[in-house]
Amino acid sequence: MVPEQQQLHSIGQATWRRDGQAKVTGAEEYVSDITLPRMWHARVLRSPYAHARIVHVDTSYAEALGAVCLTHADIPKIRYNERIVSTPPHLYRDRYVLADKARHVGEAIAAVAAPTEAAAEQALRALRVEYEVLETITDPEVAMWDGTEPIYTNVQLGDQELSIEHNIAVQRTIELGDIEHGFANSAVILEREFATSRIYHAQMETKGVVCRPESDGGITVWPTAQSIHNVRQLLGEIYSLPLHKINVKRVPIGGTFGSSIQMNSVIPICVGLTLKSGKTIKLVTTREEDMYDHVRYPSRIRLKLGATKDGLLTAGHMHALSDIGAHNTQAFAFLSVLSGWWASLYKLPAMKFEGKAVYTNKTPSCAMQGFGNPQATFAVESLMDDLADALGIDPVEFRLRNYVGLGGTFWGQGPSVQSIVLSDGVPELLEKGMEKIGWPGRPVSGSQTGRYRRGIGMARGFHTSGAGAPKPGEVIDYSGAFIKVNEDGTVDVVHALMDHGGGTLDAIAKIVAEELGIPSDRIGISPADTLTTVYDVVTHATRGVYAGGGAAHKAARKVKAILLDYASRVLGIETNALVIEPDETLGQGVIYCPSFPERRITVGALAKLCQTNSWGSIAAVESLRQVNCPPAYVAYFVEVEVDTETGSVRTVRAVIGSDCGTVVNPDLAVGQLEGGLSKGLGYALVEDNSWEQESGRLLSKGFWVDGKTPAMSESPLLEDIDTFFADSYEPSGPFGAKGIGEAATNPCAAAYGNALYNALGIRFTELPITPERIVASMVAAESGATKAVLV
Amino acid sequence: MLPQTDYVKASSVAHALDMLHQYGTGAAILAGGTDLIVDMRERRREPTMLVDISSVEELAEIDVGTGNIRIGAGVTVAGLAGSAIVQHQLPLVTEVTRHFADYLTRNRATIGGNLANASPGADLVPPLLALNASVVLATAQGERTVDLNDFLVGPRRTLLLWNELVRAIHIPTPVPRGQAYEKLGLRTGGAIAVVSCAVSMDQAGGECRRVRIGLGAVAPRAFRSSEAEQIMEGHMFSSDIAARAAEAAANSSQPISDVRGSAEYRHAMVRALVERALHAAYERSSEPQE
Ligand SMILES: Cc1cc2nc3c(=O)[nH]c(=O)nc-3n(C[C@H](O)[C@H](O)[C@H](O)COP(=O)(O)OP(=O)(O)OC[C@H]3O[C@@H](n4cnc5c(N)ncnc54)[C@H](O)[C@@H]3O)c2cc1C
Repeated sequence: MVPEQQQLHSIGQATWRRDGQAKVTGAEEYVSDITLPRMWHARVLRSPYAHARIVHVDTSYAEALGAVCLTHADIPKIRYNERIVSTPPHLYRDRYVLADKARHVGEAIAAVAAPTEAAAEQALRALRVEYEVLETITDPEVAMWDGTEPIYTNVQLGDQELSIEHNIAVQRTIELGDIEHGFANSAVILEREFATSRIYHAQMETKGVVCRPESDGGITVWPTAQSIHNVRQLLGEIYSLPLHKINVKRVPIGGTFGSSIQMNSVIPICVGLTLKSGKTIKLVTTREEDMYDHVRYPSRIRLKLGATKDGLLTAGHMHALSDIGAHNTQAFAFLSVLSGWWASLYKLPAMKFEGKAVYTNKTPSCAMQGFGNPQATFAVESLMDDLADALGIDPVEFRLRNYVGLGGTFWGQGPSVQSIVLSDGVPELLEKGMEKIGWPGRPVSGSQTGRYRRGIGMARGFHTSGAGAPKPGEVIDYSGAFIKVNEDGTVDVVHALMDHGGGTLDAIAKIVAEELGIPSDRIGISPADTLTTVYDVVTHATRGVYAGGGAAHKAARKVKAILLDYASRVLGIETNALVIEPDETLGQGVIYCPSFPERRITVGALAKLCQTNSWGSIAAVESLRQVNCPPAYVAYFVEVEVDTETGSVRTVRAVIGSDCGTVVNPDLAVGQLEGGLSKGLGYALVEDNSWEQESGRLLSKGFWVDGKTPAMSESPLLEDIDTFFADSYEPSGPFGAKGIGEAATNPCAAAYGNALYNALGIRFTELPITPERIVASMVAAESGATKAVLV
Repeated sequence: MLPQTDYVKASSVAHALDMLHQYGTGAAILAGGTDLIVDMRERRREPTMLVDISSVEELAEIDVGTGNIRIGAGVTVAGLAGSAIVQHQLPLVTEVTRHFADYLTRNRATIGGNLANASPGADLVPPLLALNASVVLATAQGERTVDLNDFLVGPRRTLLLWNELVRAIHIPTPVPRGQAYEKLGLRTGGAIAVVSCAVSMDQAGGECRRVRIGLGAVAPRAFRSSEAEQIMEGHMFSSDIAARAAEAAANSSQPISDVRGSAEYRHAMVRALVERALHAAYERSSEPQE
């Protein structure tokens, strides 16, 4: 809850987002819209084979057409990891700008640039590549067998060579307490295996980049990216360019869901072409290329949980296997967070996590909304329902007894990022959710007959807000902001933070407005690039408002102190006695002393005075590391209707409650929850990104036609989606705010699984729960039942 | 990117046919382009000349003739959806348009393109088979009319000659009143059919007459299940007979397993959808004639 005395004028108000108009009118300029003088166009040659040695690349025909070509021979022989969020000792480096060997269909082998798109396409088709095709490995179990073709012999970990055995990229075991003892003292122990799929991010915009050479030998880059600073640092490292000669611009992004957390593979390719040719070059990928570029980490999770007859968890054991595809982008971090989300869902006196991440010849996995959380939560929340059933305790009650809440330890990013929970809206979320969905009236699981069967299920979860913690961990986490007051009392906020489309930058402006007492429409968000901003790690881990906003808040406090100092000089009142408040009629912030209200000056007048008196600028730059990683809790309650003849599932209603601390912008927060439902129901029921075993190609071949995501028609009507927010205040966040974005989707698939269990009495352990799987499970369940009768 | 090609906008059927004749096998008719452009982008087809018929008005008409309803090959799916004639007499087709692609595609995709493309999953084919449609084909020399059933030779293969175009689709009248359509895709909108089925029938005092059952996406081409039709034809409608016909329809299909579904699932779904469509068609056939 926001403390009573805090009267907020900007935070908590539903306001239009500042980039909204540009977006809906088409005026916004994304990377693909950028056109520069004398700009050339590039295309990338991608491997048609999942696993092949590259014997020879013949560029002579393409060059004869006037194209500039780039192959492995041209690029610096530096292995890198495209995501530099982990600290250097935890960076697994296994890729080059252009591949030394094709490890998945769609791997970039060579690139061409030419004056027009058509000429580039023609040049691309003139490249000749000779491959020596190797065994395709699509199954992670097979990948680990003795004698399976190695996808890598060695990679680099930090600065050290690391040899890769049995295609295992990384393993992690994390153990706390004595699980044997815990299981021995359990009244009920349940164990199940769960599988989640490698879905495509399906962000609206495919990846692109424009690179311009500068006359001083530097480059300017307009990329699709979630972190301009990380892109700059990696480019500097790969191409040995000093950082002050690399300017990476922030370009509006058409959604990411995590797909641009790394420096996208096309960025260094485009830069390589620019450096070789001296031309300004644009490289935009097609949807098919993009579908072969990244997927969510899949998981096979074997989970065992024990509980006492009073419904208290005793111990847990999780085995996790992830098929990471052809590159290790953040497998180490993935295993860390998988264990961390699990450890933070419910209090486990003893736990053991054993995780393996294995290379295969498939599209590389990378973080996607929730990073390991939807996977872990699907397994845990499914098994929690089963345990509650076995114990005869209401599933919600069972959760309340065991969840990690106020005062508990939360793992925000694996074992090295932990902090104490300071705000907890879980009881409110669960109580209100039950009431809104009509929990007590739900059917007895599996009791229904007839063609259409309904079920109500719930699941809860969270996401972290940022990856900050009291001590440095395996992840980098801090942000910085530069704020200046202009000579008319408006404000420029210069922040490297990326807005994925959720309105993060709008929230930053509201936070600054709130602190400065200036109307939020007087706060501008400046275009950002790496030359003029201080470091921000990346917009991920639901850290935008909490961590990025925290840094802006810190800088705003400092600016406010400077403002009051100058005001004190002008008004002859002690600094501490002054306040700033927005004046609606003036449309300005006004500084005054409540005891002497006639002593007042607008921020604009003061700023102008500072200029005309040559006192100096009112500005501050600050950097902030949050030392907490507060859980942004979410609870889902869904009602489904199954057509048992076809297996089709309709969402009748969804109730989604969020504890995001103080709600910064209610409309956008609701949008996050509705979006989380849409992504979550796709993950739960629809999206099945499968690979052909022999060829290593996507069954959808990279086309939307069969690479299905849910459409509007799958969504319940807006009036059937009930969203609400817990009355909650996070003491460590800006004005009490935490995160929301990833939390919004995390428990969704589990809630569907539990609702389907309620409707059909069948436990689904594999995602997506397609109509076909439902029909097959019902047939199996019925024949099982008949058999039982026969016996 | 699209392969380079020449382009001409035809002003009339005669002009289009003339262009086809002039440019020979390198020419391709471009109607809505929602199949052709996709194919070109994938280089499955690389025509050297596109003859665009999308502005030919004489192809965009729907009218009622003597003994038939005539739909121009250039009528778009959105055009079908908005046509009062179709809504009134061919509710089956109106129903299909609701399940066809998305609004953007419906505005471009034509009925002629759907038939000429001859995809096993083309949504308009099963209903048109169930409505006993025939296809009017034209060359510069003249016209011929063939049964839709004969027109479709196999997957992506038709009777069309290189210099010929589909001019119109004719549906004989009176059209059976009992019409029903079922489509199952990987999602409710904008999806290719996993199974689709169309039924039309009349009845006389509960006895099923002129029963026609068209099935899509469960064989190399859309087809009519004569086995299932025979079970219904001339018999009193009952749940039992509908179930038997549905079973026969499933057995007459030859589905494959692909990214959209396994052969077993498709087989089971033919049964479920046909049964459902038979019930719905029968109920509608009971509606009094106007
Ligand atoms: C996003 C998307 C969704 C789709 N969803 C569906 C769906 O739900 N159901 C479905 O059935 N289809 C679907 N399709 C496929 C396509 O839209 C249909 O098959 C459509 O009817 C094709 O018509 P068109 O006018 O676009 O044909 P075009 O692409 O212009 O032509 C297709 C072929 O037919 C030939 N042709 C066209 N008109 C004539 C003519 N009058 N005479 C002779 N030859 C001709 C062309 O030369 C070409 O070979 C979808 C396509 C897309 C891109």
